[in-house]
Amino acid sequence: MRRSKKVKVKHDYEFDLDLAPLLAVMVKLVPVMLISSAFVQMMIVDTELPQVVQEAIKKQEEHPNKKQISVEVSSSDGVKFTVTTDGKAKVETVPVSAGHLDYAAVHQKFVDIKKANPEVFKIEMNPSGELAYKDIIKVMDEARKSRQGIHFPIHDDKTNKDTETDYMFPEISFGNTLEG
Amino acid sequence: MARRARYEPNLKKNMFVLNLTSMTDVFTILLVFLLQTYASSDVVINPVKNLRLPASNSEKNPTDAVKIAVSKELVKFDDRTIAEIIDNKFANKDIDPKDSNFIVPLFNELDKLAKSSDKKFVKEGKILLQADADLPYNTLRKVMYTASMAGFPQLKLVTVVGK
Repeated sequence: MRRSKKVKVKHDYEFDLDLAPLLAVMVKLVPVMLISSAFVQMMIVDTELPQVVQEAIKKQEEHPNKKQISVEVSSSDGVKFTVTTDGKAKVETVPVSAGHLDYAAVHQKFVDIKKANPEVFKIEMNPSGELAYKDIIKVMDEARKSRQGIHFPIHDDKTNKDTETDYMFPEISFGNTLEG
Repeated sequence: MARRARYEPNLKKNMFVLNLTSMTDVFTILLVFLLQTYASSDVVINPVKNLRLPASNSEKNPTDAVKIAVSKELVKFDDRTIAEIIDNKFANKDIDPKDSNFIVPLFNELDKLAKSSDKKFVKEGKILLQADADLPYNTLRKVMYTASMAGFPQLKLVTVVGK
């Protein structure tokens, strides 16, 4: 009887992966992405300009005991913080250091004010006329969020639970825009 | 006499296979890098010549709004030059003689837009302001004042990511 032929399985079989189609896709995709991608990422800083004076007066009349925080920024005098509670104003100043605004001290002052007034999220900013736009943005950065990992208590009305946030004063309006 | 053997070039031996593996590696790395840095935003902000934006740590993406750019030399409204700035001051022809903070061409453009457009951001009074980092607040204040007067109180300041 004829013995059946044994099927030989070649275990060391090698094959070359055809990368040409993959490369073709990439060659087309890379230029498309290079053209359409923006290497300078732009963001925005939200701010509100003061609405008509009557609205502000109306709000103040509605909440006479509301705390108000205003910040005056000047390249020569530094940053002056005014916290008004029940009509009483408490003024603190961070002077300039070596001819420049001391941003670290300004940030620390914002943290201290936030610790004392965790319910306040909106501040009014009054920069002086000669102050450069980049300095205004830097002061706004210092006020927006806590950098040191400090969190502040906040009450969530939806869930009726107390929670924490690292945001300090995310809403900043320019107070002296309408001044003559 | 034996016949001369016909010349048959060995094509199999002369063919070479291009090794694409290394090239694919390069493209894969490039593609991953591009995908990572790809900034997706609905709003296109065209950079203005000679305008250096301030840096900020803000994490908010630009939204649809009326675009105003203020460089050291000019004011642009939707890519059109509407006013001139000389030594951080607006040209006299652009300022209202009765109100030194009022930029007449800017107010006219905003007013025209507010009356003619039905877009949501116009109704809400949103402005995307690109301003040069070195401009003094006095100059910017005039733009803010005029915008506020024209019914555009919501100002969004455009910045670049970084320190």
